[in-house]
Amino acid sequence: MDTNTIIIGLAGVLVAAAPLLFAVIGETISERAGVTNLSMNGTILLSAMGGFAVAVTTDSILLGFLAGAGIGAAVALIVAFSSITLKQSQVAVGFVLALVTRDLSYFLGNPFMGLEGPRLPAWDIPLLADIPIIGPLFFQHDLMTYLSYVLILLAWLWIFRTRPGLMLQGIGERPAAAFVRGANVNLLRYFYTVLGGALVGLAGPLYSLSVKAGWKGTISGLDGIGWIALSITIFGGWNPARAAFGAYLFALLQWLGLVLQPSMPGVPSQVLQVAPFPLMILTLLLVNIGDAEWVGRTLAAMPEGARRFFTKLLRAMRASPPAALGVPFESD
Amino acid sequence: MRSRLSTLFDALLPVIATLAALAVGAVMLLFLGINPIQAYGSLWQGAFGSSNAFAETLVKATPLLLVALGICISFRGDVINIGGEGQMVIGAILATWVGLTFTDWPGWLVITLSMLAGFVGGAVWGGIPGVLKAYFNVNEILSTVMMNAIAVQLMNFLLRGPMIDPSQAQLASKIPQTARLLDAFHLARLVPTRLHMGALLAVILAFVVYILLWRTTLGYRIRAVGQNPHASRYAGIQVPRYIVLALLLSGAFAGLAGAVQVFGVNYRMITDGSASGFTGSAGFNGIVAALFGQLHPLLSIPASILFGALLVGANSMQRAMQVPSALITALNGLVVVFVVSSEIWRHKRQRKRMAVAAREEPPPPSAESKKPNQAEAGA
Repeated sequence: MDTNTIIIGLAGVLVAAAPLLFAVIGETISERAGVTNLSMNGTILLSAMGGFAVAVTTDSILLGFLAGAGIGAAVALIVAFSSITLKQSQVAVGFVLALVTRDLSYFLGNPFMGLEGPRLPAWDIPLLADIPIIGPLFFQHDLMTYLSYVLILLAWLWIFRTRPGLMLQGIGERPAAAFVRGANVNLLRYFYTVLGGALVGLAGPLYSLSVKAGWKGTISGLDGIGWIALSITIFGGWNPARAAFGAYLFALLQWLGLVLQPSMPGVPSQVLQVAPFPLMILTLLLVNIGDAEWVGRTLAAMPEGARRFFTKLLRAMRASPPAALGVPFESD
Repeated sequence: MRSRLSTLFDALLPVIATLAALAVGAVMLLFLGINPIQAYGSLWQGAFGSSNAFAETLVKATPLLLVALGICISFRGDVINIGGEGQMVIGAILATWVGLTFTDWPGWLVITLSMLAGFVGGAVWGGIPGVLKAYFNVNEILSTVMMNAIAVQLMNFLLRGPMIDPSQAQLASKIPQTARLLDAFHLARLVPTRLHMGALLAVILAFVVYILLWRTTLGYRIRAVGQNPHASRYAGIQVPRYIVLALLLSGAFAGLAGAVQVFGVNYRMITDGSASGFTGSAGFNGIVAALFGQLHPLLSIPASILFGALLVGANSMQRAMQVPSALITALNGLVVVFVVSSEIWRHKRQRKRMAVAAREEPPPPSAESKKPNQAEAGA
């Protein structure tokens, strides 16, 4: 494999990871505020279908993306209403919504199956695109891919370097303390859940108008992506930078799978299709293993040097969810 | 008196929720210019109108009930098993393999072994997330969903490769399906309908699960762990072991549902690339049926029949009234949302009632010494 193929491949990884980034960072934001939007798998499908349908009908890519964001926000609003206002289980409502939105996307999407739709055009960034290696790698893609880079940075800065971001952390970790500091906890939770949902909703049209262009119903290959995004969110430890690392790692592994397939003719294609799932289980295991009781006991029995090494390793991999994730807040 | 009325209301809540969902559905039908009374009439006719229709309803209800029984066990142990689809697929694969391999053995033996194989297959597929949760702290909702995806690809691989019907393997079309099971291995049917022995088996197992949960130490411990893992640990229960057992048993019943589906209805496995192509989403709908039955194995029987009826009836409503299929899905979704919501509401009311009862209780004589304890429990 020569350098050029590798650069094209890696550039493809950046493009393929873009929708995942929107979904993962959207979910990270709403979970930071204390609301799990478990409907993500269906939301991505519905917004992919809806965005494609709108783009085909109106011949406008912009409207397609807006429709996707709108669908994501609408589903998130249902989650927010039922969990914040009605104080119901986020898991139950989110899971049911995941099923309903998935079925809806297949049924409502029937008339748009296999249609030729508009595609997000590539747009080279002037000057930057001409830099050797860096240019083709980062700056010869489409607008949404560039926005995905910006989004990582913005989300990270917002959460960890601004005052409202501190409040966002507060309403997810200690809503009572944030309330005392003058935050309208439930209103903010509504806002961030819907904002996160809109970002998740952008992932859909990004697939159907660019990365996996078109709508092909159940064989669109999008079913399951939302669950992967959910695991990456957990792997990312609710930190946009680490989540972005997870999304890029996942896209890289998928690409390696494709590249390596011809060199392994004995391996059935399903193995590569299925590989992400055991890998995600493994990452979830690594992230959580530090909390297991027997691990603590094993560590205590180890010699000093090994213990220090493994403790450090486990702490680096570990990720704890916001303390008030899934807990409704009542200001009484 | 008032509390008895309140309990009655709670027991009827799922039914009220279903009626409310159907009422919302009626409004949507009116908007489409369809007479809702006629539409629901055809739904009723399709589900219960004739002995054959009712048999079809029971055929649909059987896998729902089997999955629901497993869900009763796992949800009572406070583990959320969303892997029913994958567990059904794995159970069906193992059972089909048994049925296609031991072709010169007597029918009753092969059927028994196949059902056991389905049970074991599902148990393995449920037990893995169980071990991951109990010993590695991996969230079981995510791991069971991922196990679903793995099971589907395993099925696609096996039905296109090692397990493909030999006659299909020679054709160009290569439909991904296994060979048909021998007639001797089919579950007995109540001819002329498609109602098979699996329905009876499911009902018997509902009683078995009831006894397991409320009359055995194993069931008591699973429920204790579900109610309060910390207290259970101090009572000497090996909490991780019962988390694994809850998910393992839950998966086993879903696996059995897959085996019964092959040996009672389809007589072969065939894939369209997705899990629901084989399961008909019973792995998911079974969760709803169990919630509808208030996580009680015996109440899950009528709950499963109701959802079986909705599935069969919705089909005939679609045919008879030209109701768009999207509306049928929306209607099913509405019922699910209403039922699940009402279930959560019921729990809240229950807790509130208990809190009120605790407050109204006269203070014991040694109130002084009890007070700190109560405060602790409340915190």
